[in-house]
Amino acid sequence: MKGKKWLNRRVFVAATILTAMLVSLAAGCPRRQPAPAVPPAAPIRVAVAGPMAFIHGDHQWKGAVMAAEEINAAGGVTVGGQKRPLELVKVDTNELLSVPDAASAIERAITVDKVDVIVGGFRSEAVLAMMDVAMDHRVLHLGVGAISPDITARVYNDYNRYKYYFRVFPYSAVHVVPTSFLLLQEAAAVVREELGIAKPKVAVVVEKVLGFDPVAAAAPKAIPTMNMEVVGLWRPSATATDLTAELTAIRKSGAHIIFSILSGPVGIAYARQWEEMQIPAVSVGVNVEAMGGKFWQATGNKGNYEATLAFLANVPVTEKSVPFFKSFVEKHGEYPIYLAGTYDAVYILAEAIERAGSMDADALVTAMKATDYKGAAGRFVFNERHDPLWGPEHLTGLGIQWIDGVPTVFWPNGWKGLRYEGTQRFRIAPWVLEYWKN
Amino acid sequence: MRQGGAAFSTDCVLRRPAASIYVWETVMRRIAERGIYWKMLEQVFINGLISGGKYALLAVGFSLIYGVARIMNLTHTAFYMLSAFLIFYLHQSLALPLAASLPLSIVAVTLIGLVCYKFIIAPVRERFTTVMILTLTLAIAIQEVILISFGGFFRTLPKVIPGMIQLAGIRMTSQHLLTLVTVSVVLVCFWMLLFKTKTGIAIRAMAMDREAANLMGMPESRIAMLTVGISVGLAALAGAVVAPLYILEPVMWMHPLVVVMAAVILGGLGSLKGSILGAFILAFAEVGLIFLFPHLSFLRGAISMAVMLVILMIRPEGLFGVFMEGER
Amino acid sequence: MISYWARKVFRDFRGEILELPTRTILFAAGILLFVLPLLTQDLYLLRVMTLAGIFAVFAASWDLLAGVCGQFSFGHTLFFAIAAYSSAMLNIHSGLPPVVTIPVGAILAVLAGLLLGLPGLRLKGPYFSLASLAFPAILLGVIITFPRFTGGELGLSGISRLGATRLTEYYISQSAMLILVLAIWKIATSKTGLIFHAIREDEIAVRASGINTNFYKMLAFSCSGLFAGLAGGMYAHFMRIAGPSTLDLILSLQIIVWTIVGGIATIYGPVIGVYLLYPLVEFLRVVPQLRTLTFALIVIVVLRVMPEGISSWVQDIVERECPRCKERNSLFRPYCRICNTELEHGKRFRLMKRGA
Repeated sequence: MKGKKWLNRRVFVAATILTAMLVSLAAGCPRRQPAPAVPPAAPIRVAVAGPMAFIHGDHQWKGAVMAAEEINAAGGVTVGGQKRPLELVKVDTNELLSVPDAASAIERAITVDKVDVIVGGFRSEAVLAMMDVAMDHRVLHLGVGAISPDITARVYNDYNRYKYYFRVFPYSAVHVVPTSFLLLQEAAAVVREELGIAKPKVAVVVEKVLGFDPVAAAAPKAIPTMNMEVVGLWRPSATATDLTAELTAIRKSGAHIIFSILSGPVGIAYARQWEEMQIPAVSVGVNVEAMGGKFWQATGNKGNYEATLAFLANVPVTEKSVPFFKSFVEKHGEYPIYLAGTYDAVYILAEAIERAGSMDADALVTAMKATDYKGAAGRFVFNERHDPLWGPEHLTGLGIQWIDGVPTVFWPNGWKGLRYEGTQRFRIAPWVLEYWKN
Repeated sequence: MRQGGAAFSTDCVLRRPAASIYVWETVMRRIAERGIYWKMLEQVFINGLISGGKYALLAVGFSLIYGVARIMNLTHTAFYMLSAFLIFYLHQSLALPLAASLPLSIVAVTLIGLVCYKFIIAPVRERFTTVMILTLTLAIAIQEVILISFGGFFRTLPKVIPGMIQLAGIRMTSQHLLTLVTVSVVLVCFWMLLFKTKTGIAIRAMAMDREAANLMGMPESRIAMLTVGISVGLAALAGAVVAPLYILEPVMWMHPLVVVMAAVILGGLGSLKGSILGAFILAFAEVGLIFLFPHLSFLRGAISMAVMLVILMIRPEGLFGVFMEGER
Repeated sequence: MISYWARKVFRDFRGEILELPTRTILFAAGILLFVLPLLTQDLYLLRVMTLAGIFAVFAASWDLLAGVCGQFSFGHTLFFAIAAYSSAMLNIHSGLPPVVTIPVGAILAVLAGLLLGLPGLRLKGPYFSLASLAFPAILLGVIITFPRFTGGELGLSGISRLGATRLTEYYISQSAMLILVLAIWKIATSKTGLIFHAIREDEIAVRASGINTNFYKMLAFSCSGLFAGLAGGMYAHFMRIAGPSTLDLILSLQIIVWTIVGGIATIYGPVIGVYLLYPLVEFLRVVPQLRTLTFALIVIVVLRVMPEGISSWVQDIVERECPRCKERNSLFRPYCRICNTELEHGKRFRLMKRGA
């Protein structure tokens, strides 16, 4: 008798706990946001996915918002005769700190927020995991940020599964290598002329990430053919925060040029210490952190004369480049880094949706493949790997050099007849000049 | 001299490291090329000294708090980061002079550390694991607060002393030298405190045997508070002295934490001279790697860990640690 | 005969599970896990729970090594990563299905366990904890040095799925979780487990009783490696990528947080910790900016209020220990269920527990 009563009570307790768990689970799946009062047409939901707490995601978001605002101000995107606005969904992937987090965030965006398209992704390892989720759901994924060739190799090798992925911006690391050599040659020409050194010595600093291994392998062979001499190869890790030892060694090696390929935060440490230690060698190459953003503040105004490949700058690559650059700087008070290329990606997406006339993923893929769009960074045409084409008529990238806090374009300066208005000659840092003139 | 430097570096590029035999050969050849060897030894020495000074300043505080209060304080480097960001905020945003923002932030961080200790750590102090996780989550909380209020951008702290110095034919920034000086000053002060004052005797007694010290009438919790204060203050000082050499970012506490833990354990837990020596050993290992094998410089994290492991396998209680049978 | 067994099962069920509130809760939670897909087929929720299942095994394996045997390792991701990488390599190069690759990966993790055991035999307490930090760091160096085999910082991708659909993956991970955790719990409560506990408490005394502690410590390392390895293999096949993120220091620390919040040295504690905290972190996406901060504050408050973890805190509330036979009883029983001794009811429960 008594036992029965206790049992009931226990059942009650258990039931309460069960209900509590269920309620909390139900609360865990957030509801869709309520639709606006008088919906003119269902918006097209676009997820912008990136590490939003960091500058990379921040610029992805800013670039995308600019494009979406412009498109919506013009009435929206025409789908099947109906004007539909774009609605951006901010997806914080936290990918710099946790890869499973990134994949879960994409799944959540697709299943809970019901987004139609995903734009973004930055850390290559995370992008590989994220695109798998997007492909499972057959959702169009426009990559903006990751340059690893392995990503689009998947599209090539398993087209039916991965065809919903397009690397919109920037181009693959395969093209970053030759472009960075072009920048090196540009700098070397200036060094030869101004310092009077026929065969400059080059110190190669390549960050140790897989994507740059081809550069490390190619540089010692390719640089001598450009009539230069390689004095050493340093491979710091992407997250190294102190390059004092490396730079001291470079100073001792007697290099005239430092050819640096850096994508991680090491780029800031490098540029700053390079100026602080007054290393007597000009610096040129790829330094992702120096492409814009808060580089100048990040280094505490050091890193003057650091030169890098960049994609968005204040020169008229197309008629859209300068207006975009100016309004970005005006709006946010900082220079866009290449991840703000989401601006072009959203426009390309809008065009593709209009061309497809529906939101069907396969129709969108076909429409995307027909892209020929002149955006802020150049002309976008995709190849069979869903990679943007590289070349003087398509995307080339730009060489920029920081001069007193302003990124100034120095390349292309006549390469294949290309020279944009506002391009300046590469400049040798004064302490380098001083060292070699004496 | 420049010629020699060139020669040693090019062959590294052309030949890929295949096996340990190659590594050994290279080391031997380097040593054989005496001219280069001496030049390089000099550089390794100076650079190792610089880099060791940075680690040592952080390691001393970490070691002290473990030795006296038996707290594995994983928040240690987070306090260092907090202090750096506070200086940045006071100096850049509120435009206070550096001379005012440095002491202000050191005091503020020390107070924050004491409050955290008093209300979060002290009540559960006897549980080693719980304390460790609490300090860890505290560090994560600090990281998040900084991430939210400053954003995930990179920043640079202005140097206390700008400029460069020529020392023994090697140029280094004055800030690096300042770090070394600070470490030595801190060390001397410490020695004075521990061996010349009554409090110091009490601290040492606590580190040796807490119960006995307590029975002898030493105020256990007050001394623990004092130690926490000194330790957090040292972390904050490091934020002022060491942080300008690095880049400020919200996850900058993780890498030094690992190195500091390795240095402390290498020198022997609770031993101050051990932790300083440990810091320098790790620094020399890293710098040596960069100079001998420039194309493998990304392995600096792995090499310092390997060095720590090897030394611990030979001396399980670290260089100067005492293994106490009584403790667990 | 059948009715006899049915009655016996029912009697045991009533006597052993329904009698104790904590066991009832665990049982109900277990049932809930299996009927969850009937309530919702939300892919995102299933994904979160699948990952929770995998991490639960991982955390429980750490508890076996650290909580039970006292080898407080900071480098537990070594096992996870080795198993993840080796099952990924095996799957990619030879096309073997997950059924084969996961156990093979786990066996390699056992070998890694023996490797980590070497310093474990020689180093004590915090020395071992900090030395174990070195292993993932060194492995990371190796991975970055040989990108041709390991994929460098990109990791290995193109691995086959754990199951054909998310639902099968969910059930695979949940049943694997139940079976493996039960196995770990069996080990921890067996005679061998008793020796593990004893080693944690006083290794010298155990050695003095004529027990080969080195053997048992190695056994603990390899058992723990085995289960962590199984979790790692499942993770690789579920995420379909095995990258350097499996070696992140933060992952090593995360399982420690889960375990200690759930209750260390209990085996079920870490499982509870993971199932509460992992979905919590996901749920906190509603406040993306404050997500991690809220999480950290919750953990701090939880540990401050219940330093022994959630599971023993709840146990202290809803259950009483019989003063005579030390058996646990429901809070509501006036008499002990075993020896019928009267249970004290006057004792007030203290919400804030101070240190021992």
